[in-house]
Amino acid sequence: RPGCCGTWPGADGAEGVPVSRRPEHRRQTARFWRENRAEAALREQCLVPAEEYERFAQALERALGEHQRREEERILQMAADIREAERRQRETVQAALQVEPELCAGPSVCRPPTGPERDSPCAAEQPGPSRMHTGPDLAWMDSSQVLTFIGHQEAEGKGNVHTGAKPPWLTEEEDGIKQQIGPSYEEFLKHKEKQKLKKLPVERVGANFDHTSQTSDSWLPSFGRVWNHGRRWQSRHQFRTESGEKKKK
Amino acid sequence: MSFLLPQLTCKKEVDQAIKTVAEKVLVLRFGRDNDAVCLQLDDILAKTAHDLSKMAVIYLVDVNNVPVYTQYFDISYIPSTVFFFNGQHMKVDYGSPDHTKFVGSFKTKQDFIDLIEVIYRGAMRGKLIVRSPIDPNNIPKYDLLYQGI
Repeated sequence: RPGCCGTWPGADGAEGVPVSRRPEHRRQTARFWRENRAEAALREQCLVPAEEYERFAQALERALGEHQRREEERILQMAADIREAERRQRETVQAALQVEPELCAGPSVCRPPTGPERDSPCAAEQPGPSRMHTGPDLAWMDSSQVLTFIGHQEAEGKGNVHTGAKPPWLTEEEDGIKQQIGPSYEEFLKHKEKQKLKKLPVERVGANFDHTSQTSDSWLPSFGRVWNHGRRWQSRHQFRTESGEKKKK
Repeated sequence: MSFLLPQLTCKKEVDQAIKTVAEKVLVLRFGRDNDAVCLQLDDILAKTAHDLSKMAVIYLVDVNNVPVYTQYFDISYIPSTVFFFNGQHMKVDYGSPDHTKFVGSFKTKQDFIDLIEVIYRGAMRGKLIVRSPIDPNNIPKYDLLYQGI
């Protein structure tokens, strides 16, 4: 709804001055009050003097700036905390990987403590969940399943899947050629025709006729001749016989 | 609307037509362009070709150009019209002695249209021979002579 002077708040107008600060604002407000027969006392309370407004605007700007700074600090702090936690985790894992080979170098391999008949030094060390709380559970891994560490993937600037960066398959434009994915337009039309074919009745005449077969010059279609009562191939056969006899003459 | 009917001039072209026309009735008119009855028939074929284009494809064949087929199809009178569907010969019982072809011209355009519809529907249902819907009085009369071979 428009404000008390009849114009919309925030409509700065040509001079760039907010509505509430325009000179005629007071006059319009007074008229509004009279017309609507509002309490005169309230008017003074509703109308904000220019100086008050200025103070308010400035305070607002300061508060906003403060808030933004605090938020940024908080986020940076969180990022630093996460990085620190990651670092500690890496160190722990590496330390564990270094310790494990020493244990396994002994006469028996580190096995899960399931065989009570096994008298291995590993049992004294208690490998498994009881030893490591923060690191990965190594007890269930055979020595044959030691994973190859290929290095920490640093991709500063480029971003990765966690930061929501653009995936590599969408960024390729080096060839410059417009690569169309999927079938071309003609293939699509052919496909539509094939779909239409499927809708035709299956029992129709010549449904399995091969329209693209290559035939010789002497090919004859399946034709039931007038004077033949047998199967149609007999027509063809008889015709060929007749032709053959004629040729022999 | 005049529609110039396409012609097939040799056996190879006729073979091509029989093999490639798919899911529509193939109409092969055997005759000669200057023959009186052929002109009558060709007129009817030309005038109905457009309306029947979804069901039928029509070609004119000069009997002098395709002696093999003139013999194979036992064409003794012209015009003679043979029908195919997906490479298969369609027979029609007109009430006349020869079911393998339509001999002569149609009396009206509607007769030809009705015939094509019946052939098309029969073909869709897997029938190789259908009964003609044309009034037997409108079917040209001729004597079918046995040609000794």
